[in-house]
Amino acid sequence: MAGIHLHVVAPLVLAAIRKCARDPSSYVRKCAVNALSKLLDLLPEENNDIEELVNIFMSDHSLGVVGASAVAFKTVCLKNLSLISKHFRRFCESLPDIEEWGQITLIEILLRYVIARHGLVRESIMFTSNATESFHSKWGSTGLFHTFDNHNSYIENVPHDFKGNSLMSKNYIEGWEECLLQHGFTNGNVGEDQYHLNYVAPASIENDDVRILLQCTLPLLWSQNSAVVLAAVGVHWIMAPNEKVQRIVKPILFLLRSFPDSKYVVLCNIQVFAKVLPSLFAPHYEDFFVHSSEIYQIRALKLEILSAIVTDASSQFILDEFQDYIKDPDRRFVADTVAAIGICAQRLPSVVDVCLEGLLGLASQESSTSNAFQKDGEACILVQAIMSIKSIIKHSPARHEKVIARLARNLDVIKEPAARALIIWIVGEYCSIGLIMPNIIPNVLKFLAWSFSSEILETKHQILNTAIKVVLSARNEDMLMFEKILNYILQLAKYDIDYDIRDRARMAEKLLSPCNAEDISRKMQNGGTAGEILENIFRGIKHPSRLPDHDFRFYLPGSLSHVVLHAAPGYDPLPKPCSLHDNLPNGIADEDATSGSFDSGSSIDDSGSYNDSDPSVTSSVESDGNELASDSHVSNNPSSSSITNIDEDRKENSHCHPSESSFVYDQSVAENLTTSISSDLADLMSRTALESWLDENSGLPSATKPSESSSIRISVNDLSFTVSPKLHTLLDPANGNGLKVEYSFLAEASKHSPFLVCIELLLSNCSNELLTAITVEDEEPNKSAASSMQVLEKPESLSTTDEGSTIIPIEEITRLEPGQTIKRTLQVQFQHHLLPLKVAVFCNGRRYVVKLWPDIGYFIRPISMNGNSFVEKESELKGMFECTKRCSFEGHIEDLKHEEQKQSSLGTDKILVVSRSLASKVLSHANVFLVSIDMPVSFSDDDASGLRLRFSSEISRSSKPCLISIVAEGKCSEPLNISVKINCEETVFGLNLLNRFVAFLH
Amino acid sequence: MPPLMGIEFLCRVADVLTGYLGGLNEDLIKDNFIIVYELLDEMMDNGFPLTTVPNILREMIAPPNIVSKVLSVVTGKSSNVSNILPDATASPVPWRKSDLKSSSNEVYVDLIEELDAILSREGVLVKCEVYGEVHVNSHLPGLPDLTLSFANPSILNDVRFHPCVRFRPWEGEQILSFVPPDGEFKLASYRVKKLKNIPIYVKPQLSSSSGHCRVSVLVGIRNDPGKVIENITVQFQLPSCVESVDVSSNHGTVNVLADKTCFWSIGRIPKDKSPNLSGNLILEPGLDRLHVFPVFRVGFKIVGVALSGLQINKLEIKNLPARLYKGFRATTKAGEYEVRS
Repeated sequence: MAGIHLHVVAPLVLAAIRKCARDPSSYVRKCAVNALSKLLDLLPEENNDIEELVNIFMSDHSLGVVGASAVAFKTVCLKNLSLISKHFRRFCESLPDIEEWGQITLIEILLRYVIARHGLVRESIMFTSNATESFHSKWGSTGLFHTFDNHNSYIENVPHDFKGNSLMSKNYIEGWEECLLQHGFTNGNVGEDQYHLNYVAPASIENDDVRILLQCTLPLLWSQNSAVVLAAVGVHWIMAPNEKVQRIVKPILFLLRSFPDSKYVVLCNIQVFAKVLPSLFAPHYEDFFVHSSEIYQIRALKLEILSAIVTDASSQFILDEFQDYIKDPDRRFVADTVAAIGICAQRLPSVVDVCLEGLLGLASQESSTSNAFQKDGEACILVQAIMSIKSIIKHSPARHEKVIARLARNLDVIKEPAARALIIWIVGEYCSIGLIMPNIIPNVLKFLAWSFSSEILETKHQILNTAIKVVLSARNEDMLMFEKILNYILQLAKYDIDYDIRDRARMAEKLLSPCNAEDISRKMQNGGTAGEILENIFRGIKHPSRLPDHDFRFYLPGSLSHVVLHAAPGYDPLPKPCSLHDNLPNGIADEDATSGSFDSGSSIDDSGSYNDSDPSVTSSVESDGNELASDSHVSNNPSSSSITNIDEDRKENSHCHPSESSFVYDQSVAENLTTSISSDLADLMSRTALESWLDENSGLPSATKPSESSSIRISVNDLSFTVSPKLHTLLDPANGNGLKVEYSFLAEASKHSPFLVCIELLLSNCSNELLTAITVEDEEPNKSAASSMQVLEKPESLSTTDEGSTIIPIEEITRLEPGQTIKRTLQVQFQHHLLPLKVAVFCNGRRYVVKLWPDIGYFIRPISMNGNSFVEKESELKGMFECTKRCSFEGHIEDLKHEEQKQSSLGTDKILVVSRSLASKVLSHANVFLVSIDMPVSFSDDDASGLRLRFSSEISRSSKPCLISIVAEGKCSEPLNISVKINCEETVFGLNLLNRFVAFLH
Repeated sequence: MPPLMGIEFLCRVADVLTGYLGGLNEDLIKDNFIIVYELLDEMMDNGFPLTTVPNILREMIAPPNIVSKVLSVVTGKSSNVSNILPDATASPVPWRKSDLKSSSNEVYVDLIEELDAILSREGVLVKCEVYGEVHVNSHLPGLPDLTLSFANPSILNDVRFHPCVRFRPWEGEQILSFVPPDGEFKLASYRVKKLKNIPIYVKPQLSSSSGHCRVSVLVGIRNDPGKVIENITVQFQLPSCVESVDVSSNHGTVNVLADKTCFWSIGRIPKDKSPNLSGNLILEPGLDRLHVFPVFRVGFKIVGVALSGLQINKLEIKNLPARLYKGFRATTKAGEYEVRS
């Protein structure tokens, strides 16, 4: 029954479930539990009842019911973990015996509960102790931290391992948005560890609950169901003490053999485990050898894992295996293998020579094949090989100068432009290192100069750069010749067909020109500006390349987000450790967390935006940001301030790369922006944010504002509007012998029936005589107003449309003095929303037939909703229920002028005025509810693009929702382009309403 | 929902459907649409798996057979969902009816093993392991309690059990103690790693020069397992740079499929000669030598031998009825058996 998804039967079903909860048969109870989660969609308001029922079911002793109630619990009230506490012990004990699908869910819930209750385990991998630490340093690899942060490794070598793990655990707990932020300040801030420790008071393994959970999930590692195994593995990964994590290795490796389809998912999980703790999987490298039947994605993952777990002992086998792969027909895979060899060599210094030798051989061999036979695959292998070589020799160029020399010698064989460019870059970069290089450089350079004109663009760039680098680093005796070659190249470049090359050549020439052949070096020592710039451009210290940021993201093992590496819908990070105490009201911690993250997001937004502006603005905006954050969460303050510290540090470090210095958190800012768009940050920020934003806007001269427009939106609900209902004339005094009747539609709903529309009549006497006995009636005088049935039967009624029209007549106005005006409310039922109703006005015994035109804007009545539910409803009414129309809007221009006259231009914001005038226009013409006004945050004052107003209403007759959104485009001071969109289930009505909107807006 | 759960469930659905329909393809599903629909209805509820145990499903929804088809045509009643709820849903052991009566008292244990091996280009055995499954087919009345023990359980590297297996006895004494569901089911699966012996060898040789490539593949028995090796096949994917193929063999048949897969089915290896495949590949113009090499995938089947060396010691049955027939069998197939060239 619950599956029918009918709102009508939902309460009945709830009652039935309640009854079934006491049914003797466990199967009936199980089905009843299953129905609960379906009910939740239907009866969101009955949430408490359902939760209560779940609680009843959870105390059930039948195994089948326990599993099903775990599922219901997860869908109904995952946040309410305190419900578990009574049953925890029993759940754990029954875990091995319940059905497998229930196990998966139950494991997840129990894990969440334990973490919320007791926090993480101190001995677990999340708090890596010295054991693994020493293990890593023993084989002196760059094992872990090269996946995390190269920059860090120079500063402090000790806690990197720890940091990686704590970073991961943090990721599990907080979700990645917040973590990216925190990572931003991890960079410079060693105190992060303490910070982390402070708020996670770890439980110890001695804790009973933890121990039981681990013990009871242990047998599940042998389950036949791969999902159960993975869930159990996740628990052990997070909770188990360090020395026992070993237990998960074999089961998870065995999973690889279960279904071919699940391989990818399992490998994704192994990959993360292996990166954090390579030692776990190091002895099992055989399992990751590639089979020919596997698809490319699986092979690539296996390669990545292999290169992560390689050790001195296994390197021989793994490299042999790689050599086999190189002959594989799938060339993309071969290219990946080459890259993997490069990574292995970087990790294990002992195999560098073997790897380099192999790669060089491969490069020369590939170059011959790819010459004879042009193919994309071959070319990319070659490029990849040289990339790998480059990354290997980067660590100790002096040791590998022979390699560079050999590469340079290969230049005349290798034809692939990307590969050539790479080699030339290497040559240029290391041209002054060692003994051999200075000797061969002149020849290489001559060769390059000679071939310059026949090269591809990319290669030309590199030749140019290399020539300049060589000149800059050359010793005196060769200088003359290098100068000549450079000049030759510059001349060629200046007349190249590509404008980029020409520009670069000119720039280089200008920079070089003040320096004569001899005194370039001297100039440089003196610190001449041109020389310094040159030095910085061409010989600037290479910043360690940053790995793509998905390396920093961790999701719960086994989750979908883990596989796709972004937060999939429904992903829920683990609860805050120790957030659950028996006396603590539930959910508070969670709310704290979310609001904290949002506010910190906003503060970063603010502090991030100063980046492009000048420093004087910086402080003010930033303090603004801090103010915002300060009231929310204590931990956010260090975050924003430390980011500025980093920024300053970095600026000192590198003058010439200002953009690079802010790279780290630029990224995080970008991430935040995207999240803030998608989430309803707008709603959360609401009033305070708007104020601060407005202050900021008015306080700063517009010149210093950053020019880029960001896409934050601010919504307001409580602007003051001037709603002036429009008056229509019903009876002209000229026609009516001095009686003037005007009417306007009222917003209030009729008390009698939803079909009636309230109309306010303004009757005024414009004549000099007394008017008596005024009434307004339906055009057919003989019929009774209330009996619409009779009307339907009338054959002689003039138009078909007013058949059903009824009027609840106003009481008779006996006297109307000259100049007097009387208001009366008339309730009318229009049968159709476009066609007029004929009405008779009696006055002084005379009858005037007039037409009462309906206004479709008052056939709807406002319903209040918030922005979220609006968006939700809107998404339900897509497709044929949606119609859009564009028009232009000018009404605001007058208002703007008004404003300007009233005050100085600084006082108010133009967008506010525009939105106000738009909203009041709509509100005075239609009976709707203003849901929100989203304002674009753009830094040009005049730009109203992106302004969005949302109105909600429902059709009075059918109570079907009717949603209106208006989006404005263009400049405030000019007529705006407006598009009106209406989502409504009754399409005809919606279209007519749309036309009406366009008509009055225009 | 974890992705693996979805995958696992889909695999189960596929298994169940295969069990019901005797295969799984588009036509079969079309023909038995009603049954498929009923099955899915039972297996899934509100996006969550409900009943996936095959023998309970079998009690709820009768498998298709001629009688039921005729019946449905004659009576016009198309449902074959049984009206009674299976007893198992209420029984303490969820995978078994409480009062099962069976005419034949028999239980069979099958060991089905798959041999995975990789031989490198130098002919070195890189990896060799066996993935095995213990299948039990039981038709026993009442609630029998079975105990299966192996002679050499220590060789098992990884294990995975059917939910009916109790964990404690395995942890303690390495024996499998269980109350079996009725009918056939997979009791356990296991893996034996780091084996040294492979039953057959495949020696491919590819030598190329000036646009031609000589292929020769030799197949023979390396370590005689003691039983006949059947259904030997060798297949390999020709590199895309090969333009035309001309191969022949002295034993068995060779097919070159449209996607350049070369399929050589040998069958049994004859006593007098060793099978040999030889031929000539013509490479694309402009390519002098072959620089990519195919991987040869080998398939075979040996009945009566478990190559891992796993041996079943004994099967004890408590609560046992009068007469009982016990049977053991073993089969080894090739899994991912690859020879690189």
